[in-house]
Amino acid sequence: MSFETQAPHWEWYYIAIYFFIGGVSAGAYFIGSLLELLGSDKHRQISRTAYYLAFPLICVTPVLLIADLGRPERFWHLFFYTKEGIPYMNFTSPLSVGTWALLVFGGMSLLSFLNNLIIDGRLKSPALEGLFRHVPHKVYAVIGSFFGFFVAGYTGVLLNITARPLWASTDPLIGSLFIASAASTGAAAIALVMAWQKISSRDAIKEVVVFDRVAMVFELALIAAMIVVAGRYSAPLSKGLYGLIFWGGTVVIGILLPLGLYWYGRRPGAAGVSLTALAAVLVLFGGAMLRIAIVQAGQLQ
Amino acid sequence: MAKGMFVDTSICTGCKACQVACKEWNSLPGDPAHFRRVPDRPYRVAFNFTGDSYDNTVKLSATDWRHVRFIEQFNESRSEARWLFSSDSCKHCNDAGCLNACPVKAIVRTDMGNVFVQQDVCIGCKYCIPACPYGVISFSEKTGTVHKCTLCNDRIHNGLGTACAKACPTGSISFGEVADLRKKADARLARLKGLGFEKANIYGYNEAGGLNVFYLFMDRPSVYGQPEAPVVPQQRLMSSTAVTVASAVVVAAAAMISFRERGEKKKEEVKL
Ligand code: SF4
Repeated sequence: MSFETQAPHWEWYYIAIYFFIGGVSAGAYFIGSLLELLGSDKHRQISRTAYYLAFPLICVTPVLLIADLGRPERFWHLFFYTKEGIPYMNFTSPLSVGTWALLVFGGMSLLSFLNNLIIDGRLKSPALEGLFRHVPHKVYAVIGSFFGFFVAGYTGVLLNITARPLWASTDPLIGSLFIASAASTGAAAIALVMAWQKISSRDAIKEVVVFDRVAMVFELALIAAMIVVAGRYSAPLSKGLYGLIFWGGTVVIGILLPLGLYWYGRRPGAAGVSLTALAAVLVLFGGAMLRIAIVQAGQLQ
Repeated sequence: MAKGMFVDTSICTGCKACQVACKEWNSLPGDPAHFRRVPDRPYRVAFNFTGDSYDNTVKLSATDWRHVRFIEQFNESRSEARWLFSSDSCKHCNDAGCLNACPVKAIVRTDMGNVFVQQDVCIGCKYCIPACPYGVISFSEKTGTVHKCTLCNDRIHNGLGTACAKACPTGSISFGEVADLRKKADARLARLKGLGFEKANIYGYNEAGGLNVFYLFMDRPSVYGQPEAPVVPQQRLMSSTAVTVASAVVVAAAAMISFRERGEKKKEEVKL
């Protein structure tokens, strides 16, 4: 007879998908703000795309989070302790700190979003324009990036800080893995949108792809380390449906295949942009499968 | 002046009076039987009850805050048997994983040391569930919140003991000051060892910062379904955070290098 911990029974279509979308948004935002800070005109295209992606995506996430609550109407208790009427954060709970981080990140990505609308002339409001001229956009880009990393990584730490065998035994690597995946899927989302719009030069996409490749190699290394660290507790990730999703969906379709495609696309004369777009779709698919596999396999009895 | 319970499994008879008393005092409904066909029976069986054991609920749940665990060890011919009983509940850990994990301060420790879920604060995020090293705290679809043993919060704050301890006919469950209970447990352990029960041990002096509800077992804790070395998950919080931050730095550096290098290469090409 062995002891048992209980699974929270989080629904994959809320929590795992939230982990995924939050990661894409944060990854894209980080790339966008980094390029804004490096400040070359050539990268302008990339960072605009990133900012236009980050905010709408992060707007989706609270809906998913709240929908999974047993008492959705009380979601605001996450910020406010009703018994004492004061704002509340629990420093020992990644879920609590992460929710606040999500709020800050959402705010910063909104600022960057509006700023880009104004610069692109899509939002014509003298009052807002005056306001945004006075707020240095690099400041909220830096703050947003910091909290973006937080949003991407805390979800992994949150899983590690439990007593469930798979999640506990993979400690402390899921946070890192989710950050690598966020960077990679964020880059892929940018590349995909840019390829879609056909307005950007192949060069610009190429740079995003180079970074995506680095992120994916890092991700692969972390997956290997995670399997080793977990030892026999990694079993739920290697068999059944979640084994298929993890090894097939994430590792093969989501990482190895796009790495190959990116590699192939480097050669002159290769199909270029459409190949990149295909690879980006696969990376995004792989990122979603990674979250589903880890969140759900950890909940198997 | 923490209050707690000492569960002496050596004198538990498995009568389940505690389980019933808990349900009654806390108005916890019984689970109706759910029937379903199983492979080798011609009739439908209630799959949410064991049916092949004196242990009826098998585990704790949102409506089973106490569970008398039956450890039934029989040999093939059923000529030899060992039967162990242990009444299980929330341990009211001094370093409680559930309380550490709660993002809304729904789970609090009262002045009597018990860990209590404030039903009007809980949002049903369910994060405390995997954070409990004992798999105690459970979600109820009905209320949308989590539930577990309260150490009879209402009773103990009105000068009574817990309902289960009150109902226990053999004195296997005793309620009181943790310090007093420990003295009692030590004396009982010494006596059992003197009688030749070498494997007898006390579970809960050091686990999870000390358990306010602790046990005397006649065999290893794992035999009774308790983890031998429970880890309060939040003890790993610092190291886990540090590694994640380091990875974020690696990713940021990688991004800087890949975008910078490219930019410079391009410039060189232009010069040429
Ligand atoms: S046994 Fe579980 S539910 Fe009870 S106090 Fe400890 S962590 Fe919380």
